[in-house]
Amino acid sequence: MERSWRGMKDKIITRRDFLRVTAGAAMAATVESGILGEVRAEPTAKVVLIRHAEVLGRQDKVRGEILQSMLDEAVKNLLETNEPMGGWKRLFKSSDVVGVKSNEWNRLPTPKELEAAIKRRLLDVGVAEKNISVADRGVLNDPVFLNASALVNVRPLRTHHWSGVGTCLKNYIQFVPDPWSYHDEGCSPLGKIWNYPIVKGKTRLNILSCLTPQFYGRGAHFFDRRYVWPYKGLIVGTDPVAVDAVGAHLLQTKRIGFFGEDRALDVPPVHIMAADKKYHLGVSDLRRIQLIKLGWMEEVLI
Amino acid sequence: MRIWTFLVIIIWMFTAAESVKGEEKGKMNQGVSLPSEAGGWKWDGKEMEYDSRTLFKYMDGAAELYLAYGFQNVTVRRFEKSSQPPLIVELYEMASSEDAYGVFSFEHQDEAVGIGQGSEFGGGLLRFWKGRYFVSIYAEGEGAEVEPGILTMGRGVANSIPGTGPEPKLIGVIPGKDFGLVAKSVRYLKNHVLLNQRFFIAHQNILNLNRKTEAVLAQYLQDKQKTQLLLIRYANLKEAGDAYQNFMKAYLPEAGGKDRLRTEDRKWTFARQRGEFVVIVFGAPTESDAEALLKATEEKMFGGR
Repeated sequence: MERSWRGMKDKIITRRDFLRVTAGAAMAATVESGILGEVRAEPTAKVVLIRHAEVLGRQDKVRGEILQSMLDEAVKNLLETNEPMGGWKRLFKSSDVVGVKSNEWNRLPTPKELEAAIKRRLLDVGVAEKNISVADRGVLNDPVFLNASALVNVRPLRTHHWSGVGTCLKNYIQFVPDPWSYHDEGCSPLGKIWNYPIVKGKTRLNILSCLTPQFYGRGAHFFDRRYVWPYKGLIVGTDPVAVDAVGAHLLQTKRIGFFGEDRALDVPPVHIMAADKKYHLGVSDLRRIQLIKLGWMEEVLI
Repeated sequence: MRIWTFLVIIIWMFTAAESVKGEEKGKMNQGVSLPSEAGGWKWDGKEMEYDSRTLFKYMDGAAELYLAYGFQNVTVRRFEKSSQPPLIVELYEMASSEDAYGVFSFEHQDEAVGIGQGSEFGGGLLRFWKGRYFVSIYAEGEGAEVEPGILTMGRGVANSIPGTGPEPKLIGVIPGKDFGLVAKSVRYLKNHVLLNQRFFIAHQNILNLNRKTEAVLAQYLQDKQKTQLLLIRYANLKEAGDAYQNFMKAYLPEAGGKDRLRTEDRKWTFARQRGEFVVIVFGAPTESDAEALLKATEEKMFGGR
């Protein structure tokens, strides 16, 4: 408690804080006043959501060439370049050593086609193959990650037992030897990891795979096909907090549509707000995130 | 002759599909002989075993749940069948049957299927508890035979677990369906992190839950109105008294010495200490509803004394 909410020790946040006004606004107001206690300039962020109706084939098999084009289009629009490679070259140099932090959870892993699409563009930029590594749990023993000058953070969007949502911020938990130490208070200390030397300042691109997101579930070790849907999208940005905020919003919107109410997650995803307000890693307020929507718009939800 | 041979083979296949064979004992779960075959799925011969030190390698973040309930070890087996996805059987040995019940109750949401002492099946996942064991069975994909296969496997595993064990006594203290109890909502909880995951009360542990306390959380539904009942048993009178005072100070500071308050949602929260118990009702639509639920709980606690 002291570790993650040092600035809030005099303020006990209770259920009644949620009841006082609408839940989200109440939580935001309470946490913000506790963590910051000051008014400061409001930065903004840009996030791209891109979807394609044909990216999944039979049995949700990913069509790699379509996924590649989605990723390229997202990078192009995110970096505001004329061609996709122009965007990739603004993100990476040929001299970079790049770790692609993926996610191998066997129920819903990062699609291999997405990993391949990222690696292909890194090679196109001129990054040497020996200087590229795609990994998840082995990052602390991977020489490329240990010597990385740049990181790509890519994982599927899903709910998570201890952090509410499994998104980009959560994906770096494998960069510490004691992941369980970061599960307090809805994984609020996760933001701390992003300031460790192995990670700090290196992340050039954050990608949430929303091809088949999981919008509800019970337990991190659990996968439920009822709560997975073919959204066929990617959420891409340079700001991990903004990418996560958009991802969490998408899952919430889907839950409301599916259940007729926002059925509570195992925990509210407070770590996203903490990453913004406490660790200053990006923008969590949806009102300050410019969401660029591209491609297939049917049931886009957000 | 060929027809008779064919029929014999078919009959053998059907009977074999429903039979469950025993197998050598696992290294950790000495009391359980897991099946080597069920519903046509055959064990691949490998067995993964994790204890409290290594569980984090198997779980993606959920290990704390099991550790909170006295986790001892888990044995994982994979079963294969041609043209069907593999089935995964996880056998968790907990410290007691109450703990096994607790793990089961924490995520209970689907319909029972009559396996073990308590079960649910939904979304391709079978969960049940029996004795001090909690079992989870699921398929690594979809297939026409998967659901009956999981249930057959579940029955086989349940049969391999010797004996049964009691539920937590505290479960028997809460009012039942006559008060609108939602049976699937009953959670047996061991710490405040788990409590908050099911019903957020406060970031801080304002109810002083600790290793020696136990709690039951249950939802009651009447006229579409949801009310939560939280019953906590402390190790002694002093701990209960301290926790009650702490809760009232942090959660109901405006109550002014009373045991109730109409909160911002225009519903009633009641809290009382009775001996080593603390009973709290959240979100009752009326004062009398809250009073009735509390009174019924107290009567079950003390038998009307």
